[in-house]
Amino acid sequence: MTQPPLLVENLTFKYRTRPELAIENVSFELKQGELLLIAGSSGCGKTTLARCINGLIPRSYRGELSGKALLYGKEISSLEIPEMAQIVGTLLQDPERQIVASNVYNEIAFGPENLGLPHDEIIMRVDQAMKRLNIEYLRERETFNLSGGEKQKVALAGVLTMNPSILLLDEPLASLDPASAHEALQAFRSLADEGKTVILVEHRVEDALQIKPDRLLYMEAGKIKYLGGIDKLPTEIDHTQVKLPAPWVVQRVKTLDKVEETARSHKSAERGEPLVVFEDVDFRYGDDYPLILQNVNLTINRGDLIAVLGPNGAGKSTLVKHAIGLLKPTRGRVLVEGKDTREMSVAQIARVLGYVFQSPTHMLYAPTVTEELEFGPKNLGFTPEDIKISVSESLVTVNLKGFDEYPPLGLSFGQQKRTTIAAVLAMRSKIMVMDEPTAGQDFANYTRFMDALCNTTNGKHSILTENFASTLFITHDLDLAVTYANRVLLFGDKHIVADGKPEDVLKDTEMLLKYRVRPTSLLQLNLDLFAKTGEFLPAESLTKFVS
Amino acid sequence: MLVTWKYRPRNTFIQRLDPRTRLIFMFSIILALTVPEIWDFRIILPLFFLSLTLYLMARIEWKDVRRVWIFIFILVIFIVGLNGLLSGRGGPSSVTNLPSPVLFNVPIKIPFTDIGWDVPITVSKTWFALTQITRMFTMTLLAIPIPYTIDPNIYGTAFRRMGASDKVSFTMDLAFRFLPTFARDFIITMDAQRARGYEIEKLNGGIPERLRKLAPFIIPVVMQSTVTGEEVIDAMDLRAFGTAPRTWLKQLTYALRDYFILGLGFAIFVACCVLKWGFGFGGYFVPEFFSNWILGL
Repeated sequence: MTQPPLLVENLTFKYRTRPELAIENVSFELKQGELLLIAGSSGCGKTTLARCINGLIPRSYRGELSGKALLYGKEISSLEIPEMAQIVGTLLQDPERQIVASNVYNEIAFGPENLGLPHDEIIMRVDQAMKRLNIEYLRERETFNLSGGEKQKVALAGVLTMNPSILLLDEPLASLDPASAHEALQAFRSLADEGKTVILVEHRVEDALQIKPDRLLYMEAGKIKYLGGIDKLPTEIDHTQVKLPAPWVVQRVKTLDKVEETARSHKSAERGEPLVVFEDVDFRYGDDYPLILQNVNLTINRGDLIAVLGPNGAGKSTLVKHAIGLLKPTRGRVLVEGKDTREMSVAQIARVLGYVFQSPTHMLYAPTVTEELEFGPKNLGFTPEDIKISVSESLVTVNLKGFDEYPPLGLSFGQQKRTTIAAVLAMRSKIMVMDEPTAGQDFANYTRFMDALCNTTNGKHSILTENFASTLFITHDLDLAVTYANRVLLFGDKHIVADGKPEDVLKDTEMLLKYRVRPTSLLQLNLDLFAKTGEFLPAESLTKFVS
Repeated sequence: MLVTWKYRPRNTFIQRLDPRTRLIFMFSIILALTVPEIWDFRIILPLFFLSLTLYLMARIEWKDVRRVWIFIFILVIFIVGLNGLLSGRGGPSSVTNLPSPVLFNVPIKIPFTDIGWDVPITVSKTWFALTQITRMFTMTLLAIPIPYTIDPNIYGTAFRRMGASDKVSFTMDLAFRFLPTFARDFIITMDAQRARGYEIEKLNGGIPERLRKLAPFIIPVVMQSTVTGEEVIDAMDLRAFGTAPRTWLKQLTYALRDYFILGLGFAIFVACCVLKWGFGFGGYFVPEFFSNWILGL
């Protein structure tokens, strides 16, 4: 009898440095050409399972491993790395972590070169992989200058040249704009259709469902909670834990008869005085460099909940770095509470505007989460009593209570990201600016802190959120804009191409697609029901409007 | 992810050279000056002008290398030069052993104590400092253009074709990209902490206290470097690096100009060795014109 590509039986693993089991008694089997979606919250054990499958556990990550993981009947831990690498091709969450060469061609050829294959064979494999993913035009480009989507495709091409029969994709959509994510998903589907076994570990479940995975494996606290077909998902999976398509959520809420209980609405804040003003702002990094911002005019007012959408590499982060004073305009000016940022230090601006950077490792340094959170308020001269309150409330807001004494750098990526959000939250700035706040976060966690920051949960005010005058977040997650923003900025072609209420900006599907934003089922349902609702709402809240 | 130096293709003689030629020639000059311990300005000065000519032929824009040169100037003039001037060490013993007229004394005093002494600045030490600076610039003029003018894609291949193992060659490839990556992380971390109200320019207290206060800045930079290192190792493991003799796709071939430059480098090295060890020419001495000039000031 033919051995299955992957057989996992009672797999249990505990990291040497952590007291709890990372995965416990995990068992499943995969067939040739099957596409399995693995989902679950941050720290649920998805990445550990992936490491057991690609052999990084126990080779690179030490700990106690028990149970079986077999590739075509052979114990994974007994396989040599070259053999392993030709069976399981791994695409890591962040393509930046995967790319080792400085140019695209070298990067794609890296694996076959390591196997010592003949020149002609390597060239043939590289050409095939580039053609397969339509990236021939990137052949001579430097890898660090590629956009997020391009990097992901190059990393995937590098995996494909190893000719693996199993593809392990660890949150491959995390850093991609919606259009790039869609393209990547289509590529995964067609690889499965061609007979490769595909394991897709992904938070963006709704996106992943577009390509109709054969099964879903849902994990909680290191254990399998659900393993089965996607047709049963609306009833089997808690929609507050995993983001499901809006019609499924509506169906589930109706089935459970929780219509009133789950209803939420936006904070319908009145727009107040201007806090940050961009006046005719141009920016470039040097005289010989191209313009990144051109003639940007923008006013952020009290009460704004702004979502900034746009393609990878469009200049969205550059825009917000002007607001915090990290970059100064080459033409025009940026005013924070009426003062030109050229005349203010970044520390002075930080009292008004708190900025959460994209990568947590660039911020975290302290031995404990509590000390990390105290850092900002101390710099701003808070009293010890205020620091204590701020830290405590911030921890609760981002669901990190109980992790107070953990070293931040020892937490999972999602928890680290929440620590950085809490660290800025504790500073009680008037404006909260977040760059991709949901990257690497599971749905339940980001819903929790976004609810708190954008104050969408009626009646639950805190000392932190009450202090906020405005929130701005850069995101690729269109549903985040639909659910939490009262204003949407679409950024592209170096300037703001659309600025207005979500219902006004997001109804123009043609323009969204032009700037690589793909409409979602939640947006569509909101547009369909807008005559009844009068505003954009989360899926649960739409239930009562669906007949 | 590792980033690269600001390399850009320029249609210059220097960039048309094989990267191995560039590296071997640079090492030839460094070895020619250091192995036979050349301190004679009559040898150093022509080599300095040769390096300067090659540097100018690389046609690197000043704005690209301005920061690097500022760093090198500080290092060479203030550290190497000042050390040579004050202590006279770091070179031949004759600098301090030979009797030499004292130009003036520099009083040195340990802060908060009465302990102090005078450091004599002699003619010999002064000439030594100038020689040392010229010698260092002769070497750095050859080294600085390398990251800006050698295609980052062929670092590894160049070392492999020079006889290094696969692992050493790829390590060199990664090492070349480490510094610009470190610089990028440095800037991002600085920005991230400034956005949390941290002002590095306002650090106060003693040295231990200042070092402690630098932790929010130093730890993320070090951690980021460590994490990047681990990520690179994982990514290389997952694609079977180091498990078999590697195929290097890029091919390098020497042209006539390479043989000329390699020959020149080799000739300089041999000439320096022969002059020093065969004829005793090339050691340290203070030229008469310099003594006369400085004492006549």
